[in-house]
Amino acid sequence: MTMKQSFLFSLLTTAVMLSLSLTSIAQDGDRILGVWEPSNGKARVKIEKIGTRYYGKIVWLKEPNDVETNLPKVDKNNPDASLRNVPLKGYRLLKDFTFKSGDEWDSGSIYDPENGNAYNCVIKMTDANTLDIRGYIGIEAFGRTDVWKRLEVPKK
Amino acid sequence: MTKIHYFLFASIAILSLFAPCCLSAQVDTLGTEEEEDFSMYDNLDFADGGTKRYCTSKVLDLSPAKLISLSYDFQGPYTLQSDSVGSTLAGDAKIQNSHGIRFGFNVPVYSRNSLIVQAGLSYAEQQYSVNSDLPLANWIANQGLRTTSGMITVFKPINEKHFFIAQAQAEMSGNYSLTEWQPLNTLLYSGVAIWGWKKHDRRMFGIGLTRSYRAGNLNYIPAILLNWTSLNRKWGAEVLAPARAHIRRTFSPRHMLFFGYELEGSSYRLANTPEVSSPFSSHELRRSEVRIRGVYEQSIKGFIWISVQAGLRYNYEFNTDELPNNQEFFRGFFGEQPYAMQNEIGHTFYAMVGIHLVSP
Repeated sequence: MTMKQSFLFSLLTTAVMLSLSLTSIAQDGDRILGVWEPSNGKARVKIEKIGTRYYGKIVWLKEPNDVETNLPKVDKNNPDASLRNVPLKGYRLLKDFTFKSGDEWDSGSIYDPENGNAYNCVIKMTDANTLDIRGYIGIEAFGRTDVWKRLEVPKK
Repeated sequence: MTKIHYFLFASIAILSLFAPCCLSAQVDTLGTEEEEDFSMYDNLDFADGGTKRYCTSKVLDLSPAKLISLSYDFQGPYTLQSDSVGSTLAGDAKIQNSHGIRFGFNVPVYSRNSLIVQAGLSYAEQQYSVNSDLPLANWIANQGLRTTSGMITVFKPINEKHFFIAQAQAEMSGNYSLTEWQPLNTLLYSGVAIWGWKKHDRRMFGIGLTRSYRAGNLNYIPAILLNWTSLNRKWGAEVLAPARAHIRRTFSPRHMLFFGYELEGSSYRLANTPEVSSPFSSHELRRSEVRIRGVYEQSIKGFIWISVQAGLRYNYEFNTDELPNNQEFFRGFFGEQPYAMQNEIGHTFYAMVGIHLVSP
């Protein structure tokens, strides 16, 4: 092999290795995909990927209807009045998470429909079936961690 | 290698560079918000057999916990009737007003489903505006009274229905300045321990015992906790008796109105100051008052809240004990040890405004 051939071979090898590593990182981030249940057992959240970011939407509610209206629950505590009739089932309460590295997804937010507040949020995967969801204001010290557990979804 | 091989390698390399983007695009199945069958999520099992559930420390619509608070307190005019002590005669003084700032800092140092630990610091001062020759009035006007305290609170849920709360607090109360503190053997220790039940998201109840100086003297008193929200979520009760109890009217999760009371008090070490030498230098002032009030709290932006309260400041106790060498003794509600001075102060109106950073 000539020097020129060796150089080209090295360049192509590097490109292939780089693309493989990017794919691997993306797949590492996809470990969070699935259906999860918060510790209070009142809802189930499906975490999905849109583009390069991760989102979580409510797919099940323990008490799906409002006790006053007996209609499906809506986001009645939203500070934006125009959003107060949006159904909670299907509502994206986890938004804009990016996979950082290791076992952490950050730069996202979590919304609490009980009080209409949105918090900064960081997600850490403590094991394949457990997430630490920490919502905070300003700095992580001013926050609270909830433990979410993975649910098995039967394959269609 | 032939040119064909180079071309193949280059093609594979270029495709592999872009492949992650293509694959990730294929992962996106929600761009068009297609209809989803949510019924498939009804009966699911945990992937690893499940987890133990715990009750939370709150009920629905509970007023938010305050991480950082800054308030200003003002009380209207009232009369001080001072007892005699030593060669000092009894007398009356008119206090034009009393006022002071309050600062609090209470943050979660550990916060998970199974355990919450909070640590806090607080500071409150009371300055007196009075023009009098009465020694006690002159003395408290010179330096004012202040309380600095540190506390730790633990909320330990046992399961979905039971919990335990404990709080321990150390405070320094007296006429010290922030540059010259009292001896550490004047620290007062108080606390509360409560065993509770959380029936559902709208009610939690507990009973326990508290060691407290809120009534001026050291007392051991039963404690009752009740946090309740009505089914329509418009009304509620927030009670930690005997320290405080309020009925809540919830207009929205971001503004609410309270009616009730709070018992405030401490035991203040009276010491000589560089400016004033007094006959009270070994005395402990047992100060206690009940604030019957209305309180309005509202979010002004996100987690920044303001509070405004006003009502009647009802004096409960303003007597002193003489404690040589800072040796405390226990009187409680039923002890018959005589006071060194039996003073009276009148009741008056008060108002307080505050700004707070509240907890998620």
